[in-house]
Amino acid sequence: MDETVAEFIKRTILKIPMNELTTILKAWDFLSENQLQTVNFRQRKESVVQHLIRLCEEKRASLNDAALLDIVYTQFHQHQKVWDVFQMSKGPGEDVDLFDMKQFKNAFKKILQRALKNVTVSFRETEENAIWIRIAWGTQYTKPNQYKPTYVVYYSQTPYAFKSSSTLRRNTPLLGQALTIASKHHQIVKMDLRSRYLDSLKAIVFKQYNQTFETHNSTTPLQERSLGLDINMDSRIIHENKVEKERVQRITQETFGDYSQPQLEFAQYKLETKFKSDLNGSILAEREEPLRCLIKFSSPHLLEALKSLAPAGKCQTKEY
Amino acid sequence: MEQANPLRPDGESKGGVLAHLERLETQVSRSRKQSEELQSVQAQEGALGTKIHKLRHLRDELRAAVRHRRGSVKARIANVEPNRTVEVNEQEALEEKLENVKAVLQAYHFTGLSGKLTSRGVCVCINTAFEGNLLASYFVDLVIQKPFRIHHHSVPVFIPLEEIAAKYLQTNIQHFLFSLCEYLNAYSGRKYQADRLQSDFAALLTGPLQRNPLCNLLSFTYKLDPGGQSFPFCARLLYKDLTATLPTDVTVTCQGEEALSTSWEEQRASHETLFCTKPLHQVFASFARREKLDGSGLLIDCFHCTGNTSEK
Repeated sequence: MDETVAEFIKRTILKIPMNELTTILKAWDFLSENQLQTVNFRQRKESVVQHLIRLCEEKRASLNDAALLDIVYTQFHQHQKVWDVFQMSKGPGEDVDLFDMKQFKNAFKKILQRALKNVTVSFRETEENAIWIRIAWGTQYTKPNQYKPTYVVYYSQTPYAFKSSSTLRRNTPLLGQALTIASKHHQIVKMDLRSRYLDSLKAIVFKQYNQTFETHNSTTPLQERSLGLDINMDSRIIHENKVEKERVQRITQETFGDYSQPQLEFAQYKLETKFKSDLNGSILAEREEPLRCLIKFSSPHLLEALKSLAPAGKCQTKEY
Repeated sequence: MEQANPLRPDGESKGGVLAHLERLETQVSRSRKQSEELQSVQAQEGALGTKIHKLRHLRDELRAAVRHRRGSVKARIANVEPNRTVEVNEQEALEEKLENVKAVLQAYHFTGLSGKLTSRGVCVCINTAFEGNLLASYFVDLVIQKPFRIHHHSVPVFIPLEEIAAKYLQTNIQHFLFSLCEYLNAYSGRKYQADRLQSDFAALLTGPLQRNPLCNLLSFTYKLDPGGQSFPFCARLLYKDLTATLPTDVTVTCQGEEALSTSWEEQRASHETLFCTKPLHQVFASFARREKLDGSGLLIDCFHCTGNTSEK
């Protein structure tokens, strides 16, 4: 086993917290059950790591195996990366998408390897039709840097791919090109959406955030839900306020739904507006050009925070 | 004369008296203001007091009315006592009717396309099926407002929902729904075939089944006699028509020898035809049956394979 590979595996295993170690090693599926059983996981971490490295050497782990371990680690720690969303598009009147996994992998790898001689590309498929791609970048003259890889999660037969944001931005156009051509699309565009939570990005982009639907089979009528509201209310709240509270609750529920919101941490809007003032002749009010502002909302869980504003009485609700 | 101290009781100096008068005046006006304020406060109190009396009176009246109403209802029930059983029967009959209607509404699911009115429009439920097996259900919540739009849905992202909506949603909702039904039923059918192949006929496969999300490209290798000496076949099924459950292009090749004997060539060609005309799992069911019937594993007569028509 190459020294660099051994070092790479060692550093990856050292990152894994002890309580996750067996789960991740099992998911990696490189060391056999028998081999794993010979390891005493209750020792100090250094000893465990050394034992594992010896087992990897016995099995002659390659760079690809090490890269797969890195992918598994990242899959378990998705929230440590910030993910961007890219959308691809086909030309009009394109043929039906007959996605062939082997073809895609070969094409993707070939495009990158033709452009940059030194690049490590690894793939791992997951159950939800997602392909995790790990790319370690080198240049014409330097070996790939295994410690600053880029990850792409591509959902085949959809136009969407998620990419971990990295500091090496000069490779992004090439990556976009490889992805577009290999998946038989024409164009790729970066969307204005970014988050640490891949699941939330998926929910927003695939429009899967609200999966409750009204059917004749549903046994919980809407009245039951509002009864729950009554129980929690202060006994001093009388009729008029109750009506208002129920109205606010209904509008909130219609707007946001009953499900848990996707997790976004910030939202930014550009706003062009004119200045409104009670005082006549104020300089700002007379200004011809609108004021250009940038409004940023941030919160650990932005959509839930917005959802709780109206019921908490902090903003008005209007039906339209 | 010296300036008299205004506080001296016998200070007759004018400055002192006038100042004193001034003070007295301000005192009077102050006390007048206070008494005016007091009066207005008292007036307000009085007004509120009368209002409270009025509201209390109103409340008592309403309470009395409620009591009276309750009393009269009880009296009516008491009078109607002997007819109670009739009423109960009526109620039971109504409940039974209600249950029936609910059951009918639920049974609409078996038609494949059903819906429920919502406050915004309608929530359509598409229940897919293949060969008499009820498969997955998908929902589309539509807003009935010009322009029509989809509020939210549970259609998988690789089904071209936006394309279908762009073509038909605004002009012909029926066409939109039927077209969507077609796509979803076909997808469910293809997925069912691929799942059945993987689960029921894994013994005949010599490698993993390659598939994609839409299940419109399947690639696998199989042997008619697992564990036997024959060469495996490689099949590649393309479903270019997303509204169909049978492939549009089938290629079967034989790994191994270049020079194929005529019997293998016949077999290969017949397999291609089979895959084109019958659902995947049925083809493999016929392979499995043939293997059972004739242990040698050699093809005897390919055109007599009987896909079980009773399964339809």
